[in-house]
Amino acid sequence: MIFNSLPFLVFVAIFIPLYFALKGRARLLLALVGSYLFYGWWDWRFLSLIALSTLVDYWVGAAIHKIGDEKKRKRLLLLSMLVNLGFLGFFKYFDFFISSFVELLQSLGLQPSVSTLGIILPVGISFYTFQSMSYTIDIYRRKLEPEQDLVKFATFVAFWPQLVAGPIVRASDFLPQFRSDHPFEWDRFTKGTAQVLWGFFKKVAIADSLAPIVDQCFADPMAFGSVNLYIAVIFYSFQIYCDFSGYSDIAIGFARILGFDFPANFRTPYFSKNFSEFWTRWHISLSSWLRDYLYIPLGGNRQGTARTYRNLMLTMLLGGLWHGANWTFVFWGWLHGMYLVVQRLFSGLWANAMRLARAPGWLNTALSILLVYLFTNLAWVFFRSPDFATAASVLQSMASLEGFSVAQIMNKFLVAKGIVLIAFLLLVEISDLRLNYGQLVLRQPVFRLASFAILLWMIAFFGTFNSNAFIYFQF
Amino acid sequence: MNSGGKKIGWIIAFLLVTFAGDRGGGALLNRIVSESQFRFSRLYRSEAGCDLLFMGNSRGLIFYQPYIEEKTGLETCNLSYNAMPMSLARVLLEDYLDKNDAPRKLIIDISMLDTRMDEHLSTGFNCYTPFSARLRNFLRERFPKAYYGGRVAHLYRYNNEVFQRALFYWKKSDKDWLLDRVITPTLQEKVKAEEPFLFHFTPQMLADLKAVKDAFTRKGVEVVLVVNPYYPPFAKKIANLHELIDAIQSATGLTVHNYADSIAGVEGFGDYQHLNKTGSRQYLDLLIRDGILPVDASIGFTEGKGH
Repeated sequence: MIFNSLPFLVFVAIFIPLYFALKGRARLLLALVGSYLFYGWWDWRFLSLIALSTLVDYWVGAAIHKIGDEKKRKRLLLLSMLVNLGFLGFFKYFDFFISSFVELLQSLGLQPSVSTLGIILPVGISFYTFQSMSYTIDIYRRKLEPEQDLVKFATFVAFWPQLVAGPIVRASDFLPQFRSDHPFEWDRFTKGTAQVLWGFFKKVAIADSLAPIVDQCFADPMAFGSVNLYIAVIFYSFQIYCDFSGYSDIAIGFARILGFDFPANFRTPYFSKNFSEFWTRWHISLSSWLRDYLYIPLGGNRQGTARTYRNLMLTMLLGGLWHGANWTFVFWGWLHGMYLVVQRLFSGLWANAMRLARAPGWLNTALSILLVYLFTNLAWVFFRSPDFATAASVLQSMASLEGFSVAQIMNKFLVAKGIVLIAFLLLVEISDLRLNYGQLVLRQPVFRLASFAILLWMIAFFGTFNSNAFIYFQF
Repeated sequence: MNSGGKKIGWIIAFLLVTFAGDRGGGALLNRIVSESQFRFSRLYRSEAGCDLLFMGNSRGLIFYQPYIEEKTGLETCNLSYNAMPMSLARVLLEDYLDKNDAPRKLIIDISMLDTRMDEHLSTGFNCYTPFSARLRNFLRERFPKAYYGGRVAHLYRYNNEVFQRALFYWKKSDKDWLLDRVITPTLQEKVKAEEPFLFHFTPQMLADLKAVKDAFTRKGVEVVLVVNPYYPPFAKKIANLHELIDAIQSATGLTVHNYADSIAGVEGFGDYQHLNKTGSRQYLDLLIRDGILPVDASIGFTEGKGH
């Protein structure tokens, strides 16, 4: 079930009143059954994967906690990792590695007769396996007590608001919230609804309005003048941001209505002044997961400069691969790793140059934001392209400046609509940064009512209602 | 009032404000549409009467009106629109006959008889449903979600590119627009690698075209069918143009005038399928030469029409 679809609206209209009508175990069971229904709507066969992952981690978590022997504990943790990463590896990466291997052999002049399996990628597998793994790892590290109640644990793994595209919520943040029944709270309901509406607006009005321009240009980059590719790349940066952060807002908003607090997953990432900051503002739940469960265990920045760079690169490469089974994602990760390394190497130089040039603070800030945004866009070209040839065509055409004129702009009305929507988004985000819009506006009932109505009008006027899947579903 | 009562009051106020805003906003946008100089607004205002009426998809927009009017002295109206499907063209042309005096000639570019045309474009004409029962019925039958969406939320009727164009042409004429670019060298090169191009047409499209021809002929309008020019290397890639022409001629009993490869050179094209201003002038001169566009202004009958 996807959020921007009619079945989901029906689901929510039934689920939420029923959820608050029930208490205790009955409510928990409803949450679990509802979550499985939500997931099974897409393909019920893959419910078995979630169920198996849940059972293994529930059992392993309890066993690790009981056993004192470090070797046995480690073996159990490996079992959990093997099952979770095994599912992920098979369903997400098996075909990719086989076809990459075949291509490698072909490049060496061999003609292997190996074929891929055409495996379907289960929606959200990258999210729930990471969420479930964090549970066993935290118990292994003695940071978390195991959950005794299987139903609670199963609900934690499969909770529908964030099941298929995050945010990845840690067991230590989430499980304690199951300890009490959350009564219906008007304040939570209105604030949650505000976030849900804002998420829907970002998805159906902004992201889906930008998508046709982006899709057209990346499908055949050489068919358009370079000006269209500049527009497409900029539009893509906002499309993916609004698509993904829109999903997160909807998920966090629904969780809030149901009585749960999830951490923020995005904080105006395109206003970052450097790449370290970018990764504390973009897909925060994944970047903090990778930091805590990969970068720091690898040694983080505690073992000298060279090791720090190696750890950064490894973390970003794996972060890239997490997004999808394609070398373009790996390259995207590599680019971001390089950005982090280069930034560490030259940040002092940049500061000195700004000081020597006596650049005012605002100019330094503006230039830094612009540079980070430009390089982020360069990386998005590889992220969006289905292959390196397409990415090369896009960049080649952009560099050539052939057809860089207003007359060459295709679909001017769609482009104009996209620009208006992006401008509106930036206006809201800047005012939120300056005024804390959420606090200021949502506190006043009149403003709250007005902002809800305005969002609904804007969704009706700008929305695209063709049930486009969220981009991050494919990850 | 207790807390529960306040909340109920809040919800009622919210629903009322949302509903009133939607209806108020819808009425405002409807006014823009009805006052616009966009071709379809003029059609439904009964101000689109003309001597020469044109219909087509984006390729039909190459009937560059200022040049035709200058050369022929006749008044023109071009109802072409990007990716116009034949089914919608029929609705619009029949509405044209209902609301405006019959033109002297109707000229249709037949390349819109292709399933690649955007049937979904019809939903964009939701913003004209307040003016046409035929359009309402058409949308209700073919695109019920869009139609009923527009009934529930009036703002949704204006959530489309057609409205954006009506807004753009609110206070100015839409006649003077045509591609002003020249096909890029990369695109010229790319055509060589293109797969053969096939028209995918259906019996329903042929039936719609015949219905249009019959309706206009009954009103004494001469209907002319043409194939507008393609970039010559691309024209060579079209594998079944003659099949389409034969099917149309057989269905309508009209001759199709084929100008697919009539314009040579590069400078007349904006891309594979579209002439630019330069190419359009060359092509229109050909139509005048061949008598498809009448030259002598005295044969026009612009006076006494309903515009």
